[in-house]
Amino acid sequence: MGHSSRVMGLLDKPMWESIGRKAWALQCCGQCGTFRYPPAPVCDDCRSFEAAWKPIGGEGTILSWVRFHKTYFDDHPAPYNCVAVRLDEGPIIVSNLVGDEPAGEWIGRRVRIEYRDAKDCALPVVRLTGKMP
Amino acid sequence: MAESETPKGLRRATAMVGVGHSDWVGDHARVRAGGKPWDSVGLASVAFMKALEDGGVDPAEIDGLVVGPTTAYERMGEVLGLDVRWGAQADAMMGIQAACMAIHAGMASVVALVYGNDQRSGKVNYGGTNAAGGQSFLSYVYHAPWGFTSQGALYALMFRRYMHETGMSERDLGHVAVAQRIGSSLNPNALMQKRISLEEYLASDYVTEPLHLFDYCLINDGGVALIIASADRAQKFAKKPVYIHGLGRSDLNRRATSLEPRLTEFYLPAQRKAAAQSFGMAGIGPKDVSSLQVYDSFSPHIPLALEGYDYCGVGEAGKFMRESGIALGQKLPVNTSGGHLSESYMQGWNHQIEAVRQLRGECGARQVENCRFVHYTSDVAGKALSIIYGL
Repeated sequence: MGHSSRVMGLLDKPMWESIGRKAWALQCCGQCGTFRYPPAPVCDDCRSFEAAWKPIGGEGTILSWVRFHKTYFDDHPAPYNCVAVRLDEGPIIVSNLVGDEPAGEWIGRRVRIEYRDAKDCALPVVRLTGKMP
Repeated sequence: MAESETPKGLRRATAMVGVGHSDWVGDHARVRAGGKPWDSVGLASVAFMKALEDGGVDPAEIDGLVVGPTTAYERMGEVLGLDVRWGAQADAMMGIQAACMAIHAGMASVVALVYGNDQRSGKVNYGGTNAAGGQSFLSYVYHAPWGFTSQGALYALMFRRYMHETGMSERDLGHVAVAQRIGSSLNPNALMQKRISLEEYLASDYVTEPLHLFDYCLINDGGVALIIASADRAQKFAKKPVYIHGLGRSDLNRRATSLEPRLTEFYLPAQRKAAAQSFGMAGIGPKDVSSLQVYDSFSPHIPLALEGYDYCGVGEAGKFMRESGIALGQKLPVNTSGGHLSESYMQGWNHQIEAVRQLRGECGARQVENCRFVHYTSDVAGKALSIIYGL
């Protein structure tokens, strides 16, 4: 089986360094202001190469979720959840919801990013904010 | 759609003249018993010989070669003794499109398409570390730090959102697995011969919730070969040609890794464009289709195709499957062979064989009556491809 590993392209490195500082930053297009994820050399909206790393606010809304009942990685024993979250900055991320799970519908619930210590890095996970949408 | 986007030139320009496959059932039993009858090149070779025999094709006539993604192009041509004037390496969907274009352009006249995959005996992982396909599709591996890999999980995430938006239930989705088992139980080449009920479906284990075990494709060793010829040449082979009347393709590549086109659009815009192209080229519509074949690595592909290709309204696939039906003998028989869920997981290649056999009338107990047009579609990783087969 083995441990999960990060994809570490040239532009993933600065992003994971920001996550290591517990201040997740994404590239924001210098021309049109669009945030992008995963990191990429060009803005897919306006195709500008200009970009600045900007810390994200850390809040978003659950778009969808699943629960794994099969174990694929040594460091993720089943059962565990994964959520797709639409960040307030725009991009969709995949993460894990920690703490209380919603009693009813998950989709539409507000979450906030926090950082969990994983094997060789900090890992951004999300927690319900308690605020209803 | 603009005139330039509905090319008519490929309408009935090419035909399937021979199809073949390895012994899926026998090889699966041998592999499960610990054996390994063939490697991937061997499986493709067995299928190739069967396709030659099926079509009465002399290998000397073959002047084009498409090799599937799981074997090396040169080695495949070397083993089969094929020196050709045109070739490509591609999956089933893009391979058929490329072969039709090459023939239409005069770059080849008889193209062999071969695929072999020892994924079961070779213990290929479609999730976890080194998930297969990750080299080509970043979304398959990018979210691994959160334990999120496997193409089934991608469809589970997509389907959860779809259920939220449409009100479709797990029970509605169960109609896919149940219907395809009816087809496979009438197909001697299918791995799964036993029918299941909706209750058995709902009682089965989740793999990645909300998807159950029966929503997932099989993993087995096997090979498929197809031979496509120009319409001019197609008449002279052993069997009645099955013409390609329409082809369409549309991609949703933008923001694919962050899953945007999956979670917000369910790939439907790509399917609608591929539908307009392929039905436009063929000069028919969904109501003319006798059977639909859908790339079904996971069962949610089916409701999405029903909506994307206008077999029912948006958000109405659950109702369509419940009330009109997708099993043999119902309104729109889908994946009549059992498909990837219950016949054989040949990554889109085996559906082409079923389309050809249905149109030739070779399907015995699972034959669709008065079969006039068979529509094949896939939406793998947002690359929607649509093929209309007919006589």
